[in-house]
Amino acid sequence: MTEPIIDPIINVDHVTKSYGSFTVLKDLCFSVMPGEKLALIGPSGSGKTTILRTLMTLERIDSGFVRVDGDYLFHMERNGRVVPADEAHLHRMRAKIGMVFQLFNLFPHKTVLENVTLAPMLTKGVRAAEAQRRAMELLEMVGMAGKANSMPAALSGGQKQRVAIARALALQPRIMLFDEVTSALDPELVEEVLNVMRMLGTQTDMTMLLVTHEMSFAHDFADRVLFFDRGRIVEEGPPGEIFTNPRHERTQTFLKKIIAAGQRI
Amino acid sequence: MEWDWAFVREIMPTLLDGLKITVLATVLGSVLAAVVGLAFALLRRSPNRLVSRTTAFLVEFIRGTPLLVQLYFLFYVLPGAGILLSPLTAGVIGLGVHYATYMAEVFRAGIDNTPRGQWEAAKACNLTAVQTWQHIILPQAIPPMIPALANYFVAMFKETPLLSAITVVELMSQARSIANFNYRYLEPMTLVGVLFLAISLIAVPALHLLERRFRRYR
Repeated sequence: MTEPIIDPIINVDHVTKSYGSFTVLKDLCFSVMPGEKLALIGPSGSGKTTILRTLMTLERIDSGFVRVDGDYLFHMERNGRVVPADEAHLHRMRAKIGMVFQLFNLFPHKTVLENVTLAPMLTKGVRAAEAQRRAMELLEMVGMAGKANSMPAALSGGQKQRVAIARALALQPRIMLFDEVTSALDPELVEEVLNVMRMLGTQTDMTMLLVTHEMSFAHDFADRVLFFDRGRIVEEGPPGEIFTNPRHERTQTFLKKIIAAGQRI
Repeated sequence: MEWDWAFVREIMPTLLDGLKITVLATVLGSVLAAVVGLAFALLRRSPNRLVSRTTAFLVEFIRGTPLLVQLYFLFYVLPGAGILLSPLTAGVIGLGVHYATYMAEVFRAGIDNTPRGQWEAAKACNLTAVQTWQHIILPQAIPPMIPALANYFVAMFKETPLLSAITVVELMSQARSIANFNYRYLEPMTLVGVLFLAISLIAVPALHLLERRFRRYR
């Protein structure tokens, strides 16, 4: 008996992207299996945030292909030919992906509840009552149901980020992208957000990609760690290997700096 | 030269009739200016170069020519091309489109001030471009613009006497005909000034109140 072949849910194939003369992604290749929890680490400017933003279609690529859930992300097939994706295709593809941002990006003119109900009502035509019921479940899950009628400006950073996670979950994405979601938080608020992510990791089968500087969290949470440097993946492997026995010299230097800065791994 | 209260009482009803037209022209002109101004601002951001450049040129052209000349074109020149407008219609279009070019600039600044993260969050929420404008960008961008827009409303109000040049019977033109008929300028012109001042003084705090109501989330 051969094992059933499972296709990767994300496949990044020779992707290159530059800002002017600065190449931020260099011929990047990797794939992610459904349900996998992936941590992207590396120095700033190494391309880890860019690839996350690319998967959310916030950035375009210069060359290469990205496939998500079997379909091209930036291309589509028409009459047997591969052509650049139109807006309708991007719209369909975005429905599979949710993203949580470093600076929360909550809608400041909407209440917490409205932040969570808006997208399902507008993009999926969910009725208001049903959207609110589901939003309250999600807010309950992230511990924010008590603030459903507050405005975002009245919340702490940790609370904002938990609402932002609920907002992203409301669209029931298959893939969740977390872009340095604790970097802008006061240290005492980091844990409440990490706890929500731990819970998502154990209670759902979503594919999760996170860019993070929280090495001990990445160590415990991720199935696999990708170490980025200068637009390439220099080293990858299970966290036990990468963190305790890094083979590449650049990974070793990076982790030494992190430890010198006072982080436990 | 002595102030004559009896004359004031006699001419007041006529002046107030003129004031109604002045206010009507300002209100209609403001609505048109806000709508067309927003359209200019959005078209200038169009990814289609032809659309954005043409709009930019049109805006510069309108802003660079005097309102009085534009009013003459609308009312006296266009009929030659078979387009006949009533004085008030021509006046409202003239005022509205002229001030739209200034308001477009206010809208542009307000829209540019909306943080990039809001556009990105809207995209991550899979909203369409129209939904993003309608539900995310404009509701945040417009309240801070209200003071600047209000200044233009008041400026437009004070420019309505220009409409008398295309036979709109507004406050100034009523006052002038009274003055010419009676050979008395003191009372009619003073009253015009007082009435304009009174409306301006009421309008400014009223618009600020409006701004506060729209800004509930700050």
